[in-house]
Amino acid sequence: MNFIRIIPSLLLSNKKLVKGKKFTNHINAGYPSSTCLALEGQKCDEIFLIDLDSYKNDKDPDFDTLNEISKNISTPITFGGGIKNIEQVKKAFKLGADKIYLSQILFRNKKIISKIKDIYGCQSIVAGINIITNDQKLYLLEDEKKNIDILDHIKSLIGCGVGEIKVTFVNNEGSENGMNIELAKKIISNTDLPIIFEGGLGNIEQIIDMIKIGANSFAIGSMITFKDYNIFKIKQHLFNKGYKVRF
Amino acid sequence: MKVGILDYKACNLGSVFSALYQLGIDPIILNNPKKLSEIDRLIIPGVGAAKSCMDYLKFNSFIEPIKKFLVNKPILGICLGMQIFAKKLYENGISEGIGHIDGEVKKLDTKIKFNIGWKEVKFIKKIDKKLNIEDMSSFYYCHSYYISLKKIDYCAGMSYIDNNNEIPAIIYKDNFIGTQFHPEKSQTNGNKLLEFFFNWKKN
Repeated sequence: MNFIRIIPSLLLSNKKLVKGKKFTNHINAGYPSSTCLALEGQKCDEIFLIDLDSYKNDKDPDFDTLNEISKNISTPITFGGGIKNIEQVKKAFKLGADKIYLSQILFRNKKIISKIKDIYGCQSIVAGINIITNDQKLYLLEDEKKNIDILDHIKSLIGCGVGEIKVTFVNNEGSENGMNIELAKKIISNTDLPIIFEGGLGNIEQIIDMIKIGANSFAIGSMITFKDYNIFKIKQHLFNKGYKVRF
Repeated sequence: MKVGILDYKACNLGSVFSALYQLGIDPIILNNPKKLSEIDRLIIPGVGAAKSCMDYLKFNSFIEPIKKFLVNKPILGICLGMQIFAKKLYENGISEGIGHIDGEVKKLDTKIKFNIGWKEVKFIKKIDKKLNIEDMSSFYYCHSYYISLKKIDYCAGMSYIDNNNEIPAIIYKDNFIGTQFHPEKSQTNGNKLLEFFFNWKKN
């Protein structure tokens, strides 16, 4: 049996960590480097570090903060946020990234995947899918006008050469009301890549509901930023319920 | 002690550098085979694709100097850095490896095509009595190709992919240690392995 992966999802803005709801209303959530050191102490399995500013502006993602964090921990870091070209990818790996997270760029330039794949391998690319549900129809955050077939979308990303997928339920994000179980089930049973789920987790029972349908990797934001949970505590509770976690 | 990190223009160079630095090492980043004479130990990182890595090593005349280095001094190969010591690799076409280990590098043919996350290592052989890592300790993996060995003799530890499939996790032969997992990203257990490597074969 595989370990359940618990991955803090950290958002960067102006060199600070922030956290919001449904991708808006971001408020300060601490100092990046010391937060990551603490999370490693709590035995987080990986760290997701996404720079928000470089989505909005046309500037480079915050490589300095990535490097500062990397110098202090030995936990795998997936870095992303507004990555637009292969030069930025190279810089990220040089300064402490272990995997690259791509989301918006995949709508404009899927060719970047094959460039990264040839140099760093497919396993180094995590594709982000930000799903919005509306009236039983599915949309992507990046294109709210066109409803999509999620399985086709995933298939095309796999065809391009990504190694891992992060699915974010935008409607549930920051709500702490749990994830979209039906949709998760459909995705898991039709995909043979590792999938990380994000958006909506607020308590242990909601994580267990997802594990029961076959999910095993979770990106967690609100639950550790604004609530009285920490990674160790989450893992301990899962362990008590008989699930396999790493300490 | 001088530890070199081979930069083959891919790699998670920053992570390997940081991991060593945290352990009190000031690593030297190597782009030139001539510099190999200046170091006592070499680390070849992972996070790369087989073909572009082997092409780089050949084009920059690294192959023979690496083989020569290995006669007297220890090398640690991580993930792809380990796989390139096999005879043949099948990622993005066929590449000839350094050939120190009798084996081939193939795509995982398990249900899940990528092995990403933490797995336990089942030790089947003791590399050295100084290696103090408990059996079934966990390490971080991120790969979709694995080394298939001709002889199990060189394998010190195995790891599972799923209930039916195991792969070599640690291999060693002469002055070479290779890990399929990433010690630089495996927190306390990874640090133990790196420290062991720094002291390995030291009188």
